[in-house]
Amino acid sequence: MDWSKQIIRYIIVMALQVLLFDQLQLWGACHPYVYVLCLLMMPITIPASVQMLIGAAAGIVMDIFCNSLGVHMAACILVMFIRPYLIGAIVSDKDRLNEQISLRSIGMEALLKYVIILVLVHHLTVFTIAAWSWSHMGFVLLETAVSSLLTILIIIGYNAFIYK
Amino acid sequence: MQNLLKILLRYSNFLVFIALEVAAFLLIGFNNVYPRSSLLSTANDAVAWQHKQLSEMKGYFSLRSQNEQLAAENARLRNEISAMDSAENGGGITYRSAKVVQMTTDHLHNFLTIDRGSKDGILRGQGVRNEDGVVGIVRTVGTNYSVVLPIINTQTNLSCRFAKNDYIGTLQWDGRDSRFAMLTDVAAHMVVNTGDTIITSGLSPVFPEGIPVGIVENSTLKEGDSYYTIRVRLHTNFKRLKYVEVVGNTHQQEMEELQDGLE
Repeated sequence: MDWSKQIIRYIIVMALQVLLFDQLQLWGACHPYVYVLCLLMMPITIPASVQMLIGAAAGIVMDIFCNSLGVHMAACILVMFIRPYLIGAIVSDKDRLNEQISLRSIGMEALLKYVIILVLVHHLTVFTIAAWSWSHMGFVLLETAVSSLLTILIIIGYNAFIYK
Repeated sequence: MQNLLKILLRYSNFLVFIALEVAAFLLIGFNNVYPRSSLLSTANDAVAWQHKQLSEMKGYFSLRSQNEQLAAENARLRNEISAMDSAENGGGITYRSAKVVQMTTDHLHNFLTIDRGSKDGILRGQGVRNEDGVVGIVRTVGTNYSVVLPIINTQTNLSCRFAKNDYIGTLQWDGRDSRFAMLTDVAAHMVVNTGDTIITSGLSPVFPEGIPVGIVENSTLKEGDSYYTIRVRLHTNFKRLKYVEVVGNTHQQEMEELQDGLE
């Protein structure tokens, strides 16, 4: 696996996250966390506990930018924990899983399922923990729907563009 | 023993998962009660520096409105100086101007970062205002930057009162619109009119008494309720916040120590 490529992509995506996506003011509730792209596309061959540690680190970095210490961390650890099981469940052809998870390695149908499920899990977790109250559940669901839609579109678009 | 080891190995991923999640939730809890780590917040020098560059870049597109804001601010400051001169003391109140480096307005937990920190004498718990009215309360202090909890954050509570009759209420934000907040704890026997002025109560050490907060937009009293639901239109326009002032109090240090003792 090519670590340098993963790290360079993380830096670029994180810069876009902070400089562009965090600045969006759409519909009053659009907070796409596109940085999960790097976590979702990471090769599945890394030991699961290492994956969770990487998720925790990426989460803490995002938390610093959001003043929400621990919230993104919790969501990213959850995503990295579910990921291998999800891949096992939706990908039948396991031969190509030694490279990173992308349109090329798992195909459009599996990629769509995979990205939609994990982005929804991540965003719902972040917004629910951050709100920490049922009285804001309506807003949390709206925030999750709008933000996830944009994040999913960007991740799928990235894959379609790079791995067409 | 060997069986136990086997089980541990078999579930090692799950155990790592649980351990990491517990760590994350401890951090969340710790940060809510004791948000002092400036390193792990936007008061972090590197993070705030980047936000500052970005806000300065954006600033070029709003020079005109910034100038107007500054002119208004100058006028108010001059008035304040003369008022202080004539009253011979300002109640030990000091103002430090600060630039807003970063701000969110459409989250449930909004924050703003200002370019003043402990080296400028900023302390946790100090009030923040601008020329229009109340902005928020300092939450985390770094060396050069600080994070402020604005009134448009669902965690903020601010003691306010009606200008007309000293009746006290608590200002909270419902998470919906950055232009409005809710005034709670106002009993049903009060007469509340649209347009009533709401100011800070001076009951907490955060703000001196009488700083403008907003005006009553509408109030409802449902049958059987003993408290009003009052919607307050805030004077501060959070979407255009560029410069703020941190309100210092000569007794702040002492109050801070007392608060620490309580926590």
